[in-house]
Amino acid sequence: MVEELVATRTTPLSGTYGGSGLARLVIAGDATRLSVRAGEEALGALSGALDIELPRAPLSASVTDGGYAFWLGPDEWLVINEHGEEMIPRLQGIEAPFSAVDVSHRNVAVTVVGPGAAAAINAACPQDLRPDRFPVGKVVRTVLGKAEIVLFRKEENTFRIECWRSFAPYVFGLLDQAAKDTAY
Amino acid sequence: MRKYSVFALAREAMRHHSGWEKHWTSPEPKSEYDVIIIGGGGHGMGAAYYLAKEHGITNIAVIEKGWIGGGNTGRNTTIVRSNYLYDESMDIYEHSLKLWEGLALDLNYNVMYSPRGVMMLSHNEHDRQTFKRHVHANRLYGIDNEWLTPEAAKEYCPPLDIAATARYPINGAALQRRAGTARHDAVVWGYGRAASDRGIHIIQNCEVKGIRRGPDGAVSGVETSKGFIGAKKIGVSASGHNSVVMAMADVSLPLESQPLQALVSEPLKPIFPCVVMSNTVHAYISQSDKGELVIGAGTDQYNSYSQTGGLQIVTHTLDAICELFPIFRRVKMMRQWGGITDNTPDRSPIQSITPVPGLFVNCGWGTGGFKATPGSAHLFAHLIAKGEPHKLAAGLTLDRYRTGRLIDEAAAAAVAH
Amino acid sequence: MLLIHCPYCGEARSELEFAGAGEAHIARPENITEVSDEDFAQYFFMRTNPKGIHYERWRHIHGCGRFFNAVRDTVSDRFLKTYKTGEPKPDRAEFEGEGR
Repeated sequence: MVEELVATRTTPLSGTYGGSGLARLVIAGDATRLSVRAGEEALGALSGALDIELPRAPLSASVTDGGYAFWLGPDEWLVINEHGEEMIPRLQGIEAPFSAVDVSHRNVAVTVVGPGAAAAINAACPQDLRPDRFPVGKVVRTVLGKAEIVLFRKEENTFRIECWRSFAPYVFGLLDQAAKDTAY
Repeated sequence: MRKYSVFALAREAMRHHSGWEKHWTSPEPKSEYDVIIIGGGGHGMGAAYYLAKEHGITNIAVIEKGWIGGGNTGRNTTIVRSNYLYDESMDIYEHSLKLWEGLALDLNYNVMYSPRGVMMLSHNEHDRQTFKRHVHANRLYGIDNEWLTPEAAKEYCPPLDIAATARYPINGAALQRRAGTARHDAVVWGYGRAASDRGIHIIQNCEVKGIRRGPDGAVSGVETSKGFIGAKKIGVSASGHNSVVMAMADVSLPLESQPLQALVSEPLKPIFPCVVMSNTVHAYISQSDKGELVIGAGTDQYNSYSQTGGLQIVTHTLDAICELFPIFRRVKMMRQWGGITDNTPDRSPIQSITPVPGLFVNCGWGTGGFKATPGSAHLFAHLIAKGEPHKLAAGLTLDRYRTGRLIDEAAAAAVAH
Repeated sequence: MLLIHCPYCGEARSELEFAGAGEAHIARPENITEVSDEDFAQYFFMRTNPKGIHYERWRHIHGCGRFFNAVRDTVSDRFLKTYKTGEPKPDRAEFEGEGR
């Protein structure tokens, strides 16, 4: 009998840890992710099928238990499912035109937690992170150093950073150094 | 004009340097000249000089809005080289390099041309293939350029980090030994002195406000802040402001004026023997005779006449410099400035007649005009005098945007702007 | 570095997130195969490159991804207005005397 060979998925940041007492870096667990492009007429059906509202307001996010839908542009969303549920099959039968690409493995997420989180991110990111300008629930696509990221403020002192996997060591290294700097 | 020589120096040393003459006179403009050059930078001043020297036309005014050499002539990184890829480019830049070699003697003025070598770093296989193509193209055309191993590059420029573990490892370099630097101010001062000596009027602080045309459509002179000045031939060589000046005669140009920044460090003892450029990581650096490290950045991404640019462009370049030359990491930068470069879609210059009779334009030198100063001036003088381009500049006409015969040096420039 | 107001995101962002995309309101000829070489050169290559008020395109490439238009003074580099693609070209009289 032939033994079954199973490839195990690893992320570029598997086993990495870092940060400082003021800004801890936590590698987010595996998740399924969808890049969605759609016009107004498909949003209702897509939101229903994905069981999460695709937000219409710029820079806003919908959050469910283990799910996120981030507004990235007027016709573009990033949908994340932390339970690892396949989302593409749910979209069968939607009439209005849309595009959905599974990008689960393209992204890696780092969560920055602590009172120094905003300062650590600001070391390389030009966003104004004062709470009145960047409240809890706001999401932006932006840059961190030379890498493009999606930045989401989950709680006052908790940020989720999504980046492409090939940039992950760079993004993590930059955040790690910045987190340590904020501790001084 | 008194000749500069070792004897003149000795004579003046004996009398407290009281006998030096002014470089050029500052006459009031006449009502009419044979030729008006708009723009008193190296290209314009040089064109006036060559019109007098080689074409016997001396009734010329050079009109400058600010002061002589105060535009891009005074704002560049002084690099001189001719290792371009295409025939049209090699023609003009090599013509220019040959003039550089004899310019100090010709003008009796030390332009401090220093053939210290320009080395272009290759960081990957693409660079290596591109530069080798350049080396071969140059050598077939009779222009010196050679390929160096990383070790040979290190020997030529000891501060270079060639370690395999470097952030930007180096797999070779292309070296043009005759290339190097020259003193930017001295070039335009030398041309100005020699032009003034031949009777050419240098009119500073005089802004051109309009180009007047006769009933036949041909130019008849310029309206300036010092009144109307007549001329049947007008040569425009206003670098970043070419579009603005030419719009006065309703001539549109394929130009976009963008900021290009440079900066210098505090003065150091002589440590950097040549010019080093890296296309891939975008950095170029040399050391001036005053000891400053002269560093050039890339263009900003938007049109601007502000003579300043974004700090992120400069820091990007400094990041690269510090990786290539770790010993410079603690050097302080002293001054930073910007110039206005007029860039063409194919990144090659334009020297051309225009739809307006009597109006000639020298523009589009973009980020690489300084090295071309003598060659451009020489060929522009020919164009103005004869009314048709010199054979070395035959491909640089404005007409190429209609015919499609572009000279696409964008991919072949030493540094991607 | 410029701060640029993105009309789609509704807020000002750092220039680091944007890519300049040249002059705005240059319409591609409808009958592109029939235009003369002169007209094509005019459309494709010639630019106004003004010193002063400039209509230009930007792309919020590392943000919402949208192209939009802007009015900017090329002497002061100050943005006078940004507006969504497809919106009419603002009259320059709106900006006279501003921005310097």
